[in-house]
Amino acid sequence: MNCEVCQLNELEVEHFEIREVLRCILHTILFHRALGLVRPKDVDLELFEITYVQCGDVEVERKIDEKIDQFIDRVEKHPKKKNQICLSFYEVKNKQATWFTNKVEHLYWEQWYINLNVMQHPKTPSGKSHHSKLVVDPGVEAGGARRVALEASLRDVLFQIIKFVNEKKDHVPSIPNLEGFLFPYEITISRFCIQDGYVQEDAPDTSSIDAQLIIIALKFTLLLSPCREVKYVALCLKVNMIKPTVCKLELYSIVETEG
Amino acid sequence: MASYQEASHSEPAKMEQIITEFFAKGLHIILESRCPYVSSRNYSCEQVLSSPSPSSSSSSSSSFWPRDKWFNLSLRDCPAALENIDLWRQSNLEPMIIDVILVQRPVNNDQIISSSKSGHARNFSGKERVYYSSDNEEFGSDTKREKIIERWVLQYESKRSGVSSGSKRSTCYSHILFNKLILLMRSLYATVRLLPAYKLFRDLNSSAQIRRYNLGHRVSSFVEPFTRIEEADMQRFVFTPVDTSCGRLCLSVLYHSSVLDVSSEPSTPISPQVIQEYVGSPLAEPLRKFSSRPMSQMSPASAPFGRRHSWGYDLYRASSPLLNPSPSPTYSESYASVSKQRSRLPPASLPRQLSENTPAIHVKNPSFDEYWPSPTFTPSPSASPPIYIPGSHVSNVLLRSESAPVSIPISSRAGISSLPNNQMLPPSPPMKATRSSVVKTDARSGLYKTSSTADKLLSFEKDEVGRMSRVESSSNISPPKSFSRSSSRFSYQDDYDDSEFSGPFVVDDDDMTDLGTRPGSFDQPGHPSGSREKGSLFPVRKSQHAAVGTLVQMLKKAPSLHQDISVTSNLLQGSKHEMPKNSNQDPDEISSTPREQQSTSVNFASSGLVSPKTTAGALEELCEYKEMKNSMLKQGKSPQA
Repeated sequence: MNCEVCQLNELEVEHFEIREVLRCILHTILFHRALGLVRPKDVDLELFEITYVQCGDVEVERKIDEKIDQFIDRVEKHPKKKNQICLSFYEVKNKQATWFTNKVEHLYWEQWYINLNVMQHPKTPSGKSHHSKLVVDPGVEAGGARRVALEASLRDVLFQIIKFVNEKKDHVPSIPNLEGFLFPYEITISRFCIQDGYVQEDAPDTSSIDAQLIIIALKFTLLLSPCREVKYVALCLKVNMIKPTVCKLELYSIVETEG
Repeated sequence: MASYQEASHSEPAKMEQIITEFFAKGLHIILESRCPYVSSRNYSCEQVLSSPSPSSSSSSSSSFWPRDKWFNLSLRDCPAALENIDLWRQSNLEPMIIDVILVQRPVNNDQIISSSKSGHARNFSGKERVYYSSDNEEFGSDTKREKIIERWVLQYESKRSGVSSGSKRSTCYSHILFNKLILLMRSLYATVRLLPAYKLFRDLNSSAQIRRYNLGHRVSSFVEPFTRIEEADMQRFVFTPVDTSCGRLCLSVLYHSSVLDVSSEPSTPISPQVIQEYVGSPLAEPLRKFSSRPMSQMSPASAPFGRRHSWGYDLYRASSPLLNPSPSPTYSESYASVSKQRSRLPPASLPRQLSENTPAIHVKNPSFDEYWPSPTFTPSPSASPPIYIPGSHVSNVLLRSESAPVSIPISSRAGISSLPNNQMLPPSPPMKATRSSVVKTDARSGLYKTSSTADKLLSFEKDEVGRMSRVESSSNISPPKSFSRSSSRFSYQDDYDDSEFSGPFVVDDDDMTDLGTRPGSFDQPGHPSGSREKGSLFPVRKSQHAAVGTLVQMLKKAPSLHQDISVTSNLLQGSKHEMPKNSNQDPDEISSTPREQQSTSVNFASSGLVSPKTTAGALEELCEYKEMKNSMLKQGKSPQA
């Protein structure tokens, strides 16, 4: 089964807008993946004239708020970085311990990447000068224009979600006839953009299918020729932010150098 | 396999029903968010009962899925959708075109638009019906402007090639189709709320203003296509078609993105008199009178303390004089009784009055919170705007008024925006019952701690002292106990700064928890003070420091104890025969020797009435105290045994 990945458009938000924007996006995605019987709940954003829909599950709401809190903490600790939230849906398979892993295997079949660019405080020097200028500009008009633009961008992101859900239906697993059923999912937070292809220092310890395969290959290789470099690459590959192609190239080079 | 054959034979029927329900559900989702109504509750109840169609009921009965739960999306009833869908049950091959029409009435037309039932239908053709609110008909077709702001098209495109029935593949196909349509309906549900017309729908549903426009809809199979110019102004959104065994289901929408200009047009606001309906008749006026004075007397120097409340003045030496010393006759009476404590009475009396009615207090006094210092308190000098307080939020209002001294996060979540802080106003003897109701109400709303200050203030009022004595006597029989309580009360003063407020004023955690979980349920006014007898006189939470300071000062300025004792003695004598009952009620009481306590209490009371004027008398009193002490010690040992 393919893992469909959707990179949502980047949004430039201010710190106080993070919660509303993330709630809106995450709930919209989950509403389209809570495919059991639901009683939808309409929620009006306070900062924008947008109404989004929740699936009505209290546990989902709690989990989302918890992750948003973590995200905000992360943003406060690392204010100069782009921030990304990954909402992944997976299937649980192979619960038994195997030769390679003792963990429960998660097969991801869909991943959503929410990219937020949190605008810096005007006093804080920032590399994103154009953003800081926008913030520093006096008057309410600049802030109002930015807010209007953000609302339009957020609406575009929501339509992007809807389009993606409509266009790609075949990869969705079968839906059990359970009230309130929601596909298993996880929300992870990262500071780096996946498109950069760099190693994520604090990326979640999850891996895509490709990365898992490479890890398996590396572990097999370790049995043959254990070396620190290979182990390092294996560790990096556990992070799903690295493109598989990069991993493969590194793997080949390491194997070649080590002989 | 019989079951498989049965399934295979019913598979085409299932497919057909799924396709039919696709139209029904799509129509339902669209009209539910485009048909204005007065209230969802009334709308659904009335319309569902009045316009059920036989065909729809029969089709729903034959459906293998409840009507509202098709595609795992449970929606509220939409009679407009029910009325229209019957037409499409005859044949699924014709497209369903839903036009959402914006009807604008001229500016000079002052007729009130009431978002009402959409039952006024005009049949254009066999399958075409136009639904408008009844008000539109009153406008007359000449004066109103109609504009199609959305056009939804649902259609089933069949393939020429047929599909074999009874095949194993088709058995699963209905399930796949159903799952895909679930996704489609989810998307449709989210999309209708993102389009511009949804805002118009929400504006019409809100009864705050009279709008010069309304939304209607038309469901038909054939419509005139838009001209190129018209279509150029519109945007299209096409949902990905869902393939079926012999065709595909398509859904798309053409919509105007500029309809929001209509909602921004000037509209007639509803008269403020609507708000005044909620104003409690007798209650509002005295409060208004009281509140008007502080505003006039407020001086810029006292801005940080904002509202001029007399209790605050006493404590914080505000430069301004006491505000409105006698907003009401009752207030003046109690005011005279305790000279120093009158300033604290206002907040206590206010709740009762508020609880009796639902006032729309129109006062611009700053927040009560400003006046009460606490380590964690941040004064908010902004005045509270005159805001209507619905009856259901009276208790919240009460709590807010009482919560002035405390900066408690919970209070900020209690919907404070509608709090008129001027409500802590005139105290009065009726406030006894008020206070109990306030306490109960406060506790229930989770703002129990916020009323601690008011409770403390009130407790030292003359009437309150007697009341407390009555409470104490009921909860703790002996005067020695009451004495010890009072003495312990004084001794607590030193502990307030460092430790949590404990003693007879502590609210049980259980009570707090239980009451806090019912923020929406507010007690009725005049609730008896039973809850107070459990020792829940002073809710203790975060206002410790403020409470401590207040208590200390009040105790220092409290009237002499002999007055309390005299009342206590009277009460004791009156409740002499009720001792066993009281002891049973309060589990904390030492019920082993109630009679002994009673006798000693009487002696104590009697001795307390007359202060010893001689050394002998003093020694006798001392002996009595020793006896009391010994008896208490014995009682303390007896439960352990």
